[in-house]
Amino acid sequence: MEGKVEAIYKWDIQLPKRIHDAKFFGNLKIEVIDKGICSHCGTCAAVCPVDGIVVEDKPIEFPDWENKCVDCGACIRVCPRWEYKPLNGVGEYIEVLAAKSKRFKGQDGAMVTEFMATALEMGIIDRAVFVGRDENWKPITAIVKDVEQLFEETIRGTKYSFADVMPRVKELIKDYKVGVVGTPCMMSGVRRLQQESDIFKNIKLAIGLFCTENFYHWQLHEFLLKEKNVEMKNAVKTDIKKGKFIVMLKDGGKVSFPVKEFDPIIPSGCEVCQDFAAIQSDVSVGSVGSKAGFSSLIVRQENAKEILDYIFEKEYAVKGDVNTDAIQKLCDFKIKIHPYPPKH
Amino acid sequence: MKVEKVEFDPISRIIGHINAISVGVKQAIKPERITVEYPRERRKLPDNFRGLILFEKDRCISCFRCAFICPANAIQMELYDNYYPSIDYSKCILCHFCVDSCPTTALKQTKIHDVAFRDLEEMVVHTDEMINPPELVREDTVTVEYKINRELILERKKEVENLIVEVKPVERIEYHSACINPQNCIGCALCASVCPADAISVEINEKKVLSIDINKCTGCGLCVRECPTNTLGLVKR
Repeated sequence: MEGKVEAIYKWDIQLPKRIHDAKFFGNLKIEVIDKGICSHCGTCAAVCPVDGIVVEDKPIEFPDWENKCVDCGACIRVCPRWEYKPLNGVGEYIEVLAAKSKRFKGQDGAMVTEFMATALEMGIIDRAVFVGRDENWKPITAIVKDVEQLFEETIRGTKYSFADVMPRVKELIKDYKVGVVGTPCMMSGVRRLQQESDIFKNIKLAIGLFCTENFYHWQLHEFLLKEKNVEMKNAVKTDIKKGKFIVMLKDGGKVSFPVKEFDPIIPSGCEVCQDFAAIQSDVSVGSVGSKAGFSSLIVRQENAKEILDYIFEKEYAVKGDVNTDAIQKLCDFKIKIHPYPPKH
Repeated sequence: MKVEKVEFDPISRIIGHINAISVGVKQAIKPERITVEYPRERRKLPDNFRGLILFEKDRCISCFRCAFICPANAIQMELYDNYYPSIDYSKCILCHFCVDSCPTTALKQTKIHDVAFRDLEEMVVHTDEMINPPELVREDTVTVEYKINRELILERKKEVENLIVEVKPVERIEYHSACINPQNCIGCALCASVCPADAISVEINEKKVLSIDINKCTGCGLCVRECPTNTLGLVKR
């Protein structure tokens, strides 16, 4: 073959602007992590080509980034908090409704589990990244490949702590169609990833959760132990209802106190976030706006709508009443309590 | 019923003895054994026998395929003047996946099946030893094979056989690396840093410009494997 015509393949990548004279991760560290606006979503770790960024129960870091970072700038390009403009409000949607799963038991209506199970069943996704927990309620990410696994108790329920979901997505993304559940900041991260590289279009379902704040597990654990004398080992469920944090205990006891008492341990990254309803998700799920035992759903994208139609066609779930005003109220409330730029 | 003493007739006894002696004499003159006097002689091995692996440095393009494919993780790439394989024979299961995967037949199979090592450390054949293998010293000069011939009699056949098999290289489909999904690229340039043939280059100013020179590309596929976003792929030349 005398192929001199196409002897050289060329393509180019736009680089982000450097603010500081350092490698790109250095810029990210100064502008986002050290400034305290990092949301701990882990999107940077999902894109890092050398797997250097670690998402653990502490602020995001990249040990020895001065040497190991390959200076590609991908972390900056996908960071939802780089040149941060807060998103707020309920956002665009196709449909708002409340529903309750017949198959699963979960936090409220178990609709997150139901959505993932149905997506797996329909073949829209091959793998779902869920957040399970250990006995101390420390989040552990679990990769679910069939519906049976979703009946495990530890997979269900809200943990109110950061988890390393996004790095796990990276492991799967090259070979599988993936479903992700996460906080609003993670949903923004997913969209950024999809803009940046088509490989992340393999994330076929992104379920956002209603969120006001999320915590570092060790801080939450220590707070509950010291201030409230609650051992998370003995807990069976945690919940936030009507401004109160509730821990249900194994012996039937119940500890509840106003969410406001958490103020000292709220991570600084959450204090600048105004996105309550996961505006950039495919479907947002939460308890606000529906009766006990039901989940509120904000269906935003066609793929989620398709799954929802299938759920009702197969009668996997029942519909309930939804109070849109309650959701709107909390969206407004989050803007009020988390002003940006921050006042202090 | 009463058990009676068996009486032998003396003539048949004598015939029996004569028969036994004649078989003994016959075996002494023309033996019918099927044993091999190892190590003075050895069994004939089939041509595709998977034995010790030899390495030819000049053919190796440092593509790491042998190391990646090794199911026992016995192959490590060591830096000599470039990266070349070393084999840990304490781990090697002699599956010869490495030989099969080698795109340039730099790794070669042999029929050497009886290497002895003094200890576990010696079983790691490092790169310099791969490149300059020790001389082969053997006592056996011939191979022995037992075959049943047309008259249905077991025959002992002696042959001289070369332990190092010259295998004709398989005609390969020529590949080169190409950017098949440019919209997946995040610009990490890992491909450029791993390319053993310097076929991928990156220009950095405001943009990052990546280019593949397919004339230099050996089609080893290392960049395709390293790419975190499936941007690169191998295409037929």
